Amino acid sequence: MSRSYDRALTVFSPDGHLFQVEYAQEAVRKGTCAVGLRGKDIVVLGVEKKSALQLQDPRTVRKVVMLDDHICMAFAGLTADGRVLIDKARIECQSHRLTVEDPVTVEYITRHIAGIQQRYTQSGGVRPFGISSLIVGFDPHDTRPRLYQTEPSGIYSAWKATAIGRSSKTVREFLEKNHKDDLSREDSIKLTVKSLLEVVQTGAKNIEISVMESYGKITNLALEEVEAIVAEIEREKEAEAERKRTRVAAAAAGQAGMFTAAGQSSSS
Amino acid sequence: MECSFALTGKDYVIVAADTTAARSIVKMKIDEDKIKELSPHLLMAYSGEPGDTVNFAEYIERNIRLHHIRHLVPLSPSASAAWIRRALAQSLRSRNPYSVNLLLGGYDTAEDKPKLFWIDYLGTLSEVPFAAHGYGSYFALSLFDRYHNPEGTVEEGLATLKRCIDQVSKRLVVAPGKYKVKIVDKDGVREVEI
Amino acid sequence: MARRYDSRTTIFSPEGRLYQIEYAMEAISHAGTVLGVLAADGVVLAAEKKVTGKLLDLSASKQGGYGGSGEKIFLLNSNMIGGVAGLTADANSLVNYARSAAQNHLLSYDEDIPVELLVQRLCDMKQGYTQFGGLRPFGVSILYAGYDPHYQFQLYHSDPSGNYSGWKATCIGSNNGTAQSLLKQEYKDTMNVKEAIGLVLRTMSKTMDSTTLGSEKLEFAVLTLDPETKQPKAKIYNAAEIDALLKSEGLAKKDEDTEMKTAS
Repeated sequence: MSRSYDRALTVFSPDGHLFQVEYAQEAVRKGTCAVGLRGKDIVVLGVEKKSALQLQDPRTVRKVVMLDDHICMAFAGLTADGRVLIDKARIECQSHRLTVEDPVTVEYITRHIAGIQQRYTQSGGVRPFGISSLIVGFDPHDTRPRLYQTEPSGIYSAWKATAIGRSSKTVREFLEKNHKDDLSREDSIKLTVKSLLEVVQTGAKNIEISVMESYGKITNLALEEVEAIVAEIEREKEAEAERKRTRVAAAAAGQAGMFTAAGQSSSS
Repeated sequence: MECSFALTGKDYVIVAADTTAARSIVKMKIDEDKIKELSPHLLMAYSGEPGDTVNFAEYIERNIRLHHIRHLVPLSPSASAAWIRRALAQSLRSRNPYSVNLLLGGYDTAEDKPKLFWIDYLGTLSEVPFAAHGYGSYFALSLFDRYHNPEGTVEEGLATLKRCIDQVSKRLVVAPGKYKVKIVDKDGVREVEI
Repeated sequence: MARRYDSRTTIFSPEGRLYQIEYAMEAISHAGTVLGVLAADGVVLAAEKKVTGKLLDLSASKQGGYGGSGEKIFLLNSNMIGGVAGLTADANSLVNYARSAAQNHLLSYDEDIPVELLVQRLCDMKQGYTQFGGLRPFGVSILYAGYDPHYQFQLYHSDPSGNYSGWKATCIGSNNGTAQSLLKQEYKDTMNVKEAIGLVLRTMSKTMDSTTLGSEKLEFAVLTLDPETKQPKAKIYNAAEIDALLKSEGLAKKDEDTEMKTAS
């Protein structure tokens, strides 16, 4: 009966695991890091971008893509799987407009994408998508920024800030520590860059930032802008380190003083 | 009755369509927009069986938008025309064909040229310097023959269009009252009053 | 237990890898080299033929047709040529698919298919073969040289996973590492087709296993614009043209037979 194993790649193991789904999540953890963050009235997507090779055409390296006028998506995992999934989502966006005359809501398209991913964990003869995605945007006639995440298993969830891909755990912990509600535009972008810097050692040239400010208004930050933000963060870090050093020095001096004082008292 | 006109000029296309929505001999509405903006540089005026027209136009609009968002470059006017023609030709051979006539005016940003296509419900497609659909075409085409200048300015084009509209109002028994006029050029689409 | 994950079909390994794809890529790195260079006014492709032999009958490719021996370089559409590295049989079916996809586009839109679009179509197909049960991935990498009005001349590379990317100059197949570092050193953004041809041939002669270049080991193609019609024109060289080209570039091998004949 080897046939039945061929037809369904994802089957339960005796202790209740779906190994293929778990391994697909492993593929996601190998992918480049992506961060999504919701501010007061904007939403930011930051991605780690592999540096394009010297002779490569940077135009063809795309990590953040548009699904519709008002929705953007970033993904981590297998790029080819991502492209196919994005294509399906784009078709649904237009098909939804054609059927009900309204653009999709961010949750709707997230649910649709998660639904496709779920189907690929259950139906016969297919492997799951090796993709986690971050989906951001604004619902039509609404000013609240939205941020959702999907996983290979077909789970989707809404977030204030989250990360997927390489070292996403570290980044998410960083975000948990530093995220506040109602961040301004500048602070949101800065926090996104800062959190990416936790895993991206090479600085601004490997970071790409997209900002959505309202329905359909998307800007990609130029390299110089990201560089400026990175420089600012570095300066702050430096100042912080400097403060720490002086504090430590002061403490040490204080302690030394105490020691000498103690020495004096003992000698006397 | 429904009338639509379009003409090219030096670096623009003007598309005009009446704004009447009628059922039998009754006017239901006089501010219907029958010119759809399919992409930043593409206009489509539609006329024909009410219902069919809107349905078909929306179907085209969404597909052209999908192509744009999928491939990041918009479909050129001539490629759009070929695709729309095929959609109509396929529909004609189906159980319920669409009865829609179209004028497709666009600006080809790659070639830097205005383009105009005449398409009817039988799936005929031809690229033309000026075009018309409906009863108005019987008056307009001869006027276009006489006054159309392929190198003309926008003002000249609008003046020629005005001649057509005036002649139709004067001679056609069932002339429409109002028209919507849109222009597409290298800067995109804009609406003008006439 | 690696065998559980690397046989039959493409499924994830515990580390989240797809071994079948990695093995396919491994196979390609032993295949005949294909090299492409993008210039301002054209694209150049060259490929190393592996199937050679004194008795191989290439007469069909000598006359007419699209040129080429039909092993490595193919005309995909009037504005596009492709060079394949990997399993020839897999490549043939992909080339067929590409040709009909291009014709379908022509039928629907009355224009030549944009280059990246055809690359995407093929990559979607390749990706499908990595995801659906009972199939193995295509063991083929392809270099695409093409022209369209959107981005003018372009050079793309696609691999068995269904990934693709655009390049100014790149190389697939055996010794691709050496070739790529050579290209990196010598490529200039201002190159024209003539210089690109020189660069391609020089790089090929350094990376191919055999010591001398000759038409029996080499396929060669150039995509340029026709000076009169301004339409893309693909030229796949036939054996005589390749030898003539090598001679003019000073890379032709000494023809021992003729030398012997003249000596005797």
